[in-house]
Amino acid sequence: MIENLVEITCDQLLGEISKAKLEGYRFVTASCADNGDDTIDIIYHFDKDYGMRNYKVNVKKGEEVPSISKIIFSALLVENEMKELFGLNITGIVVDYGGHMLLSEEELGSPFLRQQITIEQRGGKKE
Amino acid sequence: MLKMVENVFKNLVSKPATRMYPFEKREPFKDSRGQIEGCEIDKCIFCGICQRKCPANAIVVNKAEKSWEINQFKCVICNACVEVCPKKCIVASASHKTASAVKESLKIVQAEKPVEVEDASKVTA
Amino acid sequence: MSSTVIPFGPQHPVLPEPLHIKLVMEDENIVDAIPAIGYVHRGLEKLTETKEFTQNVFVVERVCGICSVMHAMAYCQGIEELMNIEISDRAKFLRVIWAELHRMHSHLLWLGLLADAFGFESLFMQVWRDREKVMDIMEETAGARVVISANTIGGTRRDLSKEQMVKINVTIDEIKKDLQQVEAVFLNNYTVKHRLVGRGILSKADAIELCAVGPMARAAGIPMDLRTTGYSAYGQLDFEPVTHPDGDNYARTYVRLYEVYQSIDLIKQAIAKIPEGEHVVPVKGNPPKGEVISRVEQPRGEVLYYLRANGTKNLERLRLRTPTFANIPSLIKMLPGSQLSDVPLLILTIDPCISCTER
Repeated sequence: MIENLVEITCDQLLGEISKAKLEGYRFVTASCADNGDDTIDIIYHFDKDYGMRNYKVNVKKGEEVPSISKIIFSALLVENEMKELFGLNITGIVVDYGGHMLLSEEELGSPFLRQQITIEQRGGKKE
Repeated sequence: MLKMVENVFKNLVSKPATRMYPFEKREPFKDSRGQIEGCEIDKCIFCGICQRKCPANAIVVNKAEKSWEINQFKCVICNACVEVCPKKCIVASASHKTASAVKESLKIVQAEKPVEVEDASKVTA
Repeated sequence: MSSTVIPFGPQHPVLPEPLHIKLVMEDENIVDAIPAIGYVHRGLEKLTETKEFTQNVFVVERVCGICSVMHAMAYCQGIEELMNIEISDRAKFLRVIWAELHRMHSHLLWLGLLADAFGFESLFMQVWRDREKVMDIMEETAGARVVISANTIGGTRRDLSKEQMVKINVTIDEIKKDLQQVEAVFLNNYTVKHRLVGRGILSKADAIELCAVGPMARAAGIPMDLRTTGYSAYGQLDFEPVTHPDGDNYARTYVRLYEVYQSIDLIKQAIAKIPEGEHVVPVKGNPPKGEVISRVEQPRGEVLYYLRANGTKNLERLRLRTPTFANIPSLIKMLPGSQLSDVPLLILTIDPCISCTER
């Protein structure tokens, strides 16, 4: 259902993205979705004259993903967000907030993943 | 610039656009979503559709106790419950709820027993 | 020269929402700016996974009050595409009318805030007085002032009667007349121009490079407006994106001011062309399955919804990218080189909506 969906691997990512940029595509954003089977889909959305092109990368949890923010500066916020909310291992973001762009230290790590969440009360108090 | 001067003079002589609020209140519009006032409990069949459709989880329907409860501080006044109610027994009002001193005032509307004839305590906002 | 770091925000009179920017200064000049967000992250994307897809309409509306209609519209369009629902023409026009009313009130709000930011209190009140008329229309027709919940999957929740449409027509005429009176102050006033012209320049090349959207891009001379793709009923209406070549604060004011006129024109066209018919079609069939991307133009720019559904009542993933998220890199680019006194105006001209950005 998604127009122009291109499936690429993690190694091809930087090359394809620079090619898209040279072709005049505008980076819209990247989306992330947990497949529930130890892999995560990252979809990079591009737009040119209202037509979209989407690159889908399937990565394993914990696998290293190169940052595209060196090629497209405006990807830095979305990459930080994915890193925090999904625990993706994105390396080399231009401005790396170190997992504290949206979340504070007290919060759960990577809350958007499908995972068993056990909530421990702070200070050992129970209601 | 002259247009603005014209505007300034007009504002000097015209009535203010605001109201003297506590003394002069605006009538709410007819179909405005002000608040969910309660439930006509006699008509309610305790199906629980409103509870399931409520996006804010503000409604609790208890079939055993025959109670219908709304937390008006959770309610986002989307009127989804009013639309889905099969008996159309949820009362929506156009006037807004005024501030209240106690936040914990959950509204519990109990149904009377089928035999006894008792006035169901009407809840007012 | 040694540099000083000045924190700007998260509480600042010009900001309605918490945005924190660390400004690295040399004297009065900014050399670097580091934004920090995360004060209002609510996890709404995660929340949508626990709600039914029909309930999510109300959740996505609350992502942002000022553009609630467009959020719901984008979400409903996505779900309708997944479920193959063809909505009636009347519903499409109704959506356009409410969406344009929303754009009007958002831009009027922004114009008022701008006037307030450069210290023109009375202008601010003039603009917001007109905005109040739009809010009243909304309350009368849809039932609420800001989060109007007009959209639902399959159409709209309410219909507009003939009298209501006549009233909308009359009111927007009044607003147009009032706005023409204050327009000269925004665009020609000597002092106001001093605060706006030549400040915070975002060149066309930068706007492309930094992927700016909405009025930011249009003020830099890029005629990018998703409404021209003709989603909903926009394909049957006649309009051109408002652009300005300069890319400074003045250009952004110009674009937003003229978009209010454009919205007035679009509402008039929509009311003239609206066909008779049902305003909502019943939603039947299985819950949605598959992936879809839905985009609409908000007052602040393009919003993207990526929906992934697996055939159950709950969505597997809902991802939304709001326009401010895309415009923050441009802000970081514009800040270095400007003066500290221009920072409030500069931040305001991207029309930041932080709770949108963090969701």
